[in-house]
Amino acid sequence: MKKNRGKLFIIVSTFALALYFLYPTYRAYNFEKELSTRVGQDSAKYVVDNEIAIRESKAKRIKLGLDLQGGMRVVMEVNVLKMLEQIAKNKDDQFALLMTDIAREAQTSDENIITIFQRAFDAKQIRLSRYYGSLREDNDKILKRLQDETDKAVDRAMEIIRNRVDQYGVSEPSIQKQGGRRIIVELPGVSKEDEVRQLLQGTALLEFKLMKDPDIIYKTMEAVDKYLAGKGYNDSTSSADTTKKTAAPKNTLSALTSKSDTASNAVADAQKSPEQQAKDHPFLFLARPNQQGNGEAYVSENDKDKVMRILARPDVQKILPSDMAFYFSSKHLFINEGVKYFSLYALKKTPELTGTVVINAQATIDQSFNQPIVTMEMNNEGSREWARITGANINKRMAIVLDDAVFSAPNIRGKITGGRSQIEGMANIEEARLLEIILKAGALPAPVDIMEQRSVGPSLGEDSILAGTKSFTYALIITVLFMMIYYRTGGAVANIALFINVLFIFAILAAFGGTMTLPGIAGIVLTIGMAVDANVLIYERIREELATHKALRAAIDAGYGKAFSAILDSNVTTFFSGVVLYQFGTGPVQGFALTLMMGVTANLFTAIVITRVVFEIMVERGSTEINFG
Amino acid sequence: MRLFKKTNIDFMGNRKIFYTISVVTLIIGLAGIFGKGMTFGIDFLGGTELLLRFDNPPAISDVRTAIDKIGYKGSEIKSFGNPNDILIFTSEQAEGGKVAEQIRSELQKEFPSSKFSVLREDKIGPKIGAELRRNAIYAVGATMLIIMIYVGFRFKFIYGLAGVIAIFHDVIATLGVIVLLNGLSPHLSLEINQTIMAAFLTLIGFSINDTVIVFDRIRENLKIHKADSLFDIMNRSVNETLSRTVITSGTVILVLIVLILFGGEVNRGFAFTFFIGTILGTYSSIYVASALVLDFTMRQEKKVK
Repeated sequence: MKKNRGKLFIIVSTFALALYFLYPTYRAYNFEKELSTRVGQDSAKYVVDNEIAIRESKAKRIKLGLDLQGGMRVVMEVNVLKMLEQIAKNKDDQFALLMTDIAREAQTSDENIITIFQRAFDAKQIRLSRYYGSLREDNDKILKRLQDETDKAVDRAMEIIRNRVDQYGVSEPSIQKQGGRRIIVELPGVSKEDEVRQLLQGTALLEFKLMKDPDIIYKTMEAVDKYLAGKGYNDSTSSADTTKKTAAPKNTLSALTSKSDTASNAVADAQKSPEQQAKDHPFLFLARPNQQGNGEAYVSENDKDKVMRILARPDVQKILPSDMAFYFSSKHLFINEGVKYFSLYALKKTPELTGTVVINAQATIDQSFNQPIVTMEMNNEGSREWARITGANINKRMAIVLDDAVFSAPNIRGKITGGRSQIEGMANIEEARLLEIILKAGALPAPVDIMEQRSVGPSLGEDSILAGTKSFTYALIITVLFMMIYYRTGGAVANIALFINVLFIFAILAAFGGTMTLPGIAGIVLTIGMAVDANVLIYERIREELATHKALRAAIDAGYGKAFSAILDSNVTTFFSGVVLYQFGTGPVQGFALTLMMGVTANLFTAIVITRVVFEIMVERGSTEINFG
Repeated sequence: MRLFKKTNIDFMGNRKIFYTISVVTLIIGLAGIFGKGMTFGIDFLGGTELLLRFDNPPAISDVRTAIDKIGYKGSEIKSFGNPNDILIFTSEQAEGGKVAEQIRSELQKEFPSSKFSVLREDKIGPKIGAELRRNAIYAVGATMLIIMIYVGFRFKFIYGLAGVIAIFHDVIATLGVIVLLNGLSPHLSLEINQTIMAAFLTLIGFSINDTVIVFDRIRENLKIHKADSLFDIMNRSVNETLSRTVITSGTVILVLIVLILFGGEVNRGFAFTFFIGTILGTYSSIYVASALVLDFTMRQEKKVK
């Protein structure tokens, strides 16, 4: 007994430690069970009474992975290239060409964007100072600054996304940075994908832009129309679907234009066949000016891309005033024969004010019109600017542009002091609330691309838990029974070690804030197999030794001694493959590797140390025979 | 209870027979891999995958027609696990989750009478898919390398090499088997995805585990019976460890059968792959790894003479 006192002490204290780490999980489980039996007032009171205890136990319990409780996992990459493109000055054709090259390379390469950037510029022997920084700065200095800025952009993007997720109200979200510019977001229990995407990806670039004078807009549009008609316009990129799409709004055109044509006489001849109209007025046929002459034009959803393509053509750009830019409304204006029609706005290119001045936002329902709105508050500087701008532009229209879509374009009726403004045009209150969160959290410094998106519905999670527990229990029962039958007393001792091993795995998981996943359960089931192997090795050796008529004590010593090297080597190799799995795997595979590594490590302790101490104590107590089957 | 009395099987004397069996298995495996071709899952391909549970599921062919209509021709559509669950996979993957959104709304429109809930929805971009493929190859390579170094260091270099050749044998043969069996039953999906990948890596670990235990016995017997030939020592060692090998592998196989039957759809592919791998791994640690060490050593001794 004396010899084993030290070992016994270690065993008991590790066991106690394991129970200590597992206690919160047990408590959290009990709270949940308790809560599910109570309803309404009663349950609310229970939560208030035990608030701290519940919170503490929840924080320290073993967390369930997304595959078990349902939820979403999104891997995003911050598009630093877009940001570099945005902050460049004097952009010309050469720059655009370079950027396409870099983008193509960055798509497949994992290299640092700035390195690719530098190489591309060096290859063409273009000095960076042409587009960034001042002329006197040398390349290295500019590169260093750009690197700084991209690093900062990724960090800031992460911070903003964290803000948004926090305000959205997800319990126990996980937001991690991976590599240089990747962000992994895990949202347990969330299944509204479209909302989450909007939440994470919305760059929330809010701009206040003045609308151009309607007369100028229509004149410009007519000029574009005439120019295209003169060239015998034909959208070669989609000649095939032109015919298909123009067939749809046949009657629409006459319906829209037959009433009056105060704004423009360009589409007067409604009696002509649509084909003829399209030929005579290639642009105005697609973008039909509003009859009230408010400066807007209607475009069917099918023609939106085509209109933008026309307006982006370099030859068309030459006709447009230099500070004019076109945007579509965020929401369709009306539906005609199942086809949605959007408003086309012509705005001043440079914004009067941007969302950086917004300090607070609030989603509500507008009482008078019964529609969802988001009211915004601006900081002092913004309020002053806003008052000046609105004061100077009375009776003009100010478009509120969010992520390149016009949400509303109200008429400025008077000078607005106090820095208040509102956004209209959301489909419902949920959308308004999402916008509120995004505006409050701030704009992303660069757009983010979703690289991977996985979501598990709650019912699959329940199925998986059931399948996991079932297989885990059956595996345990089979193994335990087999060991008992095959090795008798030895088997019983090995089974105790096995239970402690599993307990340790859960305790380590809880202690390090690990997550239990379905592959993680598979890892534990496999550990059971490994644990048994260690004891099988030892017992087979003891049997061999006993067969040579050694005394029990000597046989046990020899058995453990000789089996040790085999157990160590095999566990170490398995542990190494676990390390590799953890290193190269993602999400689910890592969960498997983690429990496997923990299990193999715990196994060395439970299968070798604990069982031996039990046998030695038995021998010291006077057993001369232990049944090893 | 004892499954084996002291055995005395001439394993090494019959190694030529087992080499033949191994070579034939490998050829079948390779034929499967290159003839039928590996089917990769969404993890490695990139694309969009939806797993939907219907109240009263429409016919698979109707679902296919509906999905063809919105332009995702050549999508893979099959029932998954139970008849109410339908898996839809397309290699298309537009920005965000637009493809999945489109498929969902089309199915809602097309089959208004059969409501469904989304069990799982994955979208993997092409960059991630390529990355996972690369990582998988790295992982297998790195595991083998580490094992070779560790075993070479603990025993002799030749043991490490033979162990890795045995692993290679197991991986190729198992891969061949699952490639050939894939698609034969709707209850057994053996597409190469991350989970199957994990199974391969674990089977590498397990296979070397078995091999190491036989090697360990050889190392020990070499010290005790210095006068005996390597041939005899190997036979003795394999015989001595036979009972342990069979019991451990047997227990693992039992556990795996449990996983296959009750572990759920997600774990089934893993368990099955590992099941095949354990059988092959147990075999290879006896007949491939040890036999190779024997032949390598005998050849070297001949050279010395």
